[in-house]
Amino acid sequence: MSDLLTEKTYGGEEAVRRFPAVRAVLAERSVRAGLVLVGLVVLAALLAPVAAALTGHGPDQQFRAEALSENGLPIGPSATFPLGADGNGRDVLVRTLYGARISLLVGVPATTLALVAGTAVGLVAGFFPGRTDRLLSLGTDVALSFPFVVTALSLVALNRGGDGEPVVDPVLLVILVIALFSWTYFARLTRGLVVVLRNRPFVEAAVSIGVSRRRLIVREILPNVLPVVAVYWAVQLPVNILAEATLSFLGVGVQAPTASWGNMIAEAQRTSLYQVQPWFLLGPGIAMFVTVLGFNAIGSGIRSVLDPQG
Amino acid sequence: MALFSVEDLRVAFRRRGRATTAVRGVSFAVEPGRTLALVGESGSGKSVSLLAATGLLPGHAEVGGRALFRGTDLTRLTRAELRRVRGRHIGFVFQDPLSNLHPLKTVGAQIAEAVTAHERVGRAALRRRVLDLLGEVGIKDPERRIGDYPNHFSGGMRQRVMIAMAIALNPELIIADEPTTALDVTVQASILALLRRLQESHGTALIFVSHDLAVVSEIADDVVVMRDGEVVETAPAAELYAAPRHPYTRELLAAARHGRALVRPPSAPSAPSAPSGPDAGGVPLLRASGLHMSYRGPGRGEPFRALTDVSFDLREGEIVGLVGESGSGKSTIGRIVAGLARPTAGSVSLRGEAYNGPGGVRLPKSLRPEIQVVFQDPYGSLNPRRTVAATLAEPFAVNTGLPAAEIRTRVEALAARVELPPTVLHRLPSQLSGGQRQRVAIARAIALRPSVVVADEPVSALDITTQTQILALIRRLRDELGTSFLFISHDLGAVAALCERVIVLNHGRVVEQGPVHRVFDEPRDAYTRTLLDSIPGRVAHV
Repeated sequence: MSDLLTEKTYGGEEAVRRFPAVRAVLAERSVRAGLVLVGLVVLAALLAPVAAALTGHGPDQQFRAEALSENGLPIGPSATFPLGADGNGRDVLVRTLYGARISLLVGVPATTLALVAGTAVGLVAGFFPGRTDRLLSLGTDVALSFPFVVTALSLVALNRGGDGEPVVDPVLLVILVIALFSWTYFARLTRGLVVVLRNRPFVEAAVSIGVSRRRLIVREILPNVLPVVAVYWAVQLPVNILAEATLSFLGVGVQAPTASWGNMIAEAQRTSLYQVQPWFLLGPGIAMFVTVLGFNAIGSGIRSVLDPQG
Repeated sequence: MALFSVEDLRVAFRRRGRATTAVRGVSFAVEPGRTLALVGESGSGKSVSLLAATGLLPGHAEVGGRALFRGTDLTRLTRAELRRVRGRHIGFVFQDPLSNLHPLKTVGAQIAEAVTAHERVGRAALRRRVLDLLGEVGIKDPERRIGDYPNHFSGGMRQRVMIAMAIALNPELIIADEPTTALDVTVQASILALLRRLQESHGTALIFVSHDLAVVSEIADDVVVMRDGEVVETAPAAELYAAPRHPYTRELLAAARHGRALVRPPSAPSAPSAPSGPDAGGVPLLRASGLHMSYRGPGRGEPFRALTDVSFDLREGEIVGLVGESGSGKSTIGRIVAGLARPTAGSVSLRGEAYNGPGGVRLPKSLRPEIQVVFQDPYGSLNPRRTVAATLAEPFAVNTGLPAAEIRTRVEALAARVELPPTVLHRLPSQLSGGQRQRVAIARAIALRPSVVVADEPVSALDITTQTQILALIRRLRDELGTSFLFISHDLGAVAALCERVIVLNHGRVVEQGPVHRVFDEPRDAYTRTLLDSIPGRVAHV
């Protein structure tokens, strides 16, 4: 496996030289715009503690005296609270920045987990036609036929121990639930690619020099599948970030007081406080919009370069 | 005055701010009723010139110069004006008749469309005309075939349908771009005859684009030879074949002749330089006996018989040609010998040891390194994500326990043996030419010093000058290493140039086998004779 690693560990410049596609992708305007937007989001997530330190407002800290008016309503944007406060007197800006962390913390591992599991299933299904393929494809179809929200709600309900405390960390559970519902796309994509690749002459040439099946999958087929799957990762990520927000909005995802865009929006909507303090809703809303837009721009840009017909 | 003349045509493609010049100052002209051939290898700009001259290039192409059709400059016309010229005055026939026919429309409807695009015709009259056209291009029983879909037609018949569409409105000029390249040799001969006949009866001018000087000799009055977007020589056909002026034309002609030198027996019985080993004692190196192969298609009905009782021997250090048209079963035999497919009956044996019969292992691991394959498509047979060095290291990595440094030395030696410069070792297949890719594929096949290499159409995807080089390489490797080759090809010329013996296949049966000069000079089987008679260029002594 060591030589496999050396084949992979090339620097950025090397990648541009070896894969002209990388240069073409970077030249695409939508990819550049998307990278800027995603860069902003990542920066926001990284700098969230800095913002907290500068304003002196922790993400879960309540400032009832400063941030709530006499009748208990949150204040709007001001010098100390740039995006105003929420119903509990917490800083919306700081919470939005911390929300970016949760979005990436859930979205990236969930999508990566789905990629790994789906690619593995797709490789095996595509490479072994007949019973193996039929069984795995059937499994994929069954997994696809579960309704997302209902299943997620039941799983979270099951995640309560005797004392009412969750058995598994809710963030971990959200990651698993989202991965469970997105691996199927990777599996189908990979299976389709492998079925075509399996009959390509270079695979038969490898067979005739005596390459084992395992090596065939890892060294001949996988490298041809990975770039496509990687693109699909960028396409699936924003979907999964929205899925986290959906679950948190429904109250089964990231639990209060931890800030997540989904539960912030849910709170603004439930308490109707966005009518007095619109930034309570707009802060996380815009952040989510920018994130999804950024990743979608990258995904569609890469797709238009790699698949001009698509 | 010329019917159609192209003057100082220049074409450049602009992409992401960079311009690539494809055609630089090309001029040619065709008179009414005459045939002009544009000849050149891939990338020479012959197709691009014609597409540019008839306004068929996409928007990012920059076209300069003039293309005069009956005095009108086509490069100055609007799209609507061009549409009125194309089809009505200029008909087109392209290489791949399958992708140029609509799969979900009947052939009758498609020919009718060629008419109604320019004329208003009543239903009955239209049907009459379509039937006439089908008859004219030699489709038998047009009444019955008019409602068929393209997938019911063979390649040759589809090309006839394309020709019917091109001549539907009796145009003054037909442009045919490699119209016979995708076809079998006997079908090619019939399509060329059809084009000649139509041209004589209608007085149509024809521009015939081809990479093959031998095919061109069958049909052209005048020849334009192109290279790298420029015209290198223009001459009447007779003159060009008798006394080519430009060195490149001579090179092309030599390559064509080398390939088609049917009368010339392969350089004296260049005795299998590897003497048969002492233990070979009468047993041939490889023996295929009684091979049968049948496929059961979807639904009931008779299974399709791909091979029927095929037997042959391959001796040590021998190059045997396996020829036949598409569907003759020649690739199936190659796959069975290489252990990539299993026969329904019969078996193959190497040095008397049988392998790959029905049931049992296709090719035991011990025999794997002994039998190797070179595939037709040099684009598909190399992993696009691995460097040449990685591809060539694979046979050693899988089959030997050699240390990395030793493998590197072997890979370098291997590259040198197939005349690949060391600089290409670190490139990816996409950065190589077709000939270089095929050299890599051959190097991979001989890496483990196999006793048999199955080469399935190894040169048919290459330009003709590259073909000659690869054939020479195969012969040299045989002489140096004593490897036996099973050379599968539809190209009788290549077989004549390379092989000692030849096996002729027709519909999965061996119709004739024997020494090349005997089979080609005195064919005993009727099918072999038809095959030989269809070879282009015999008339002009190409």
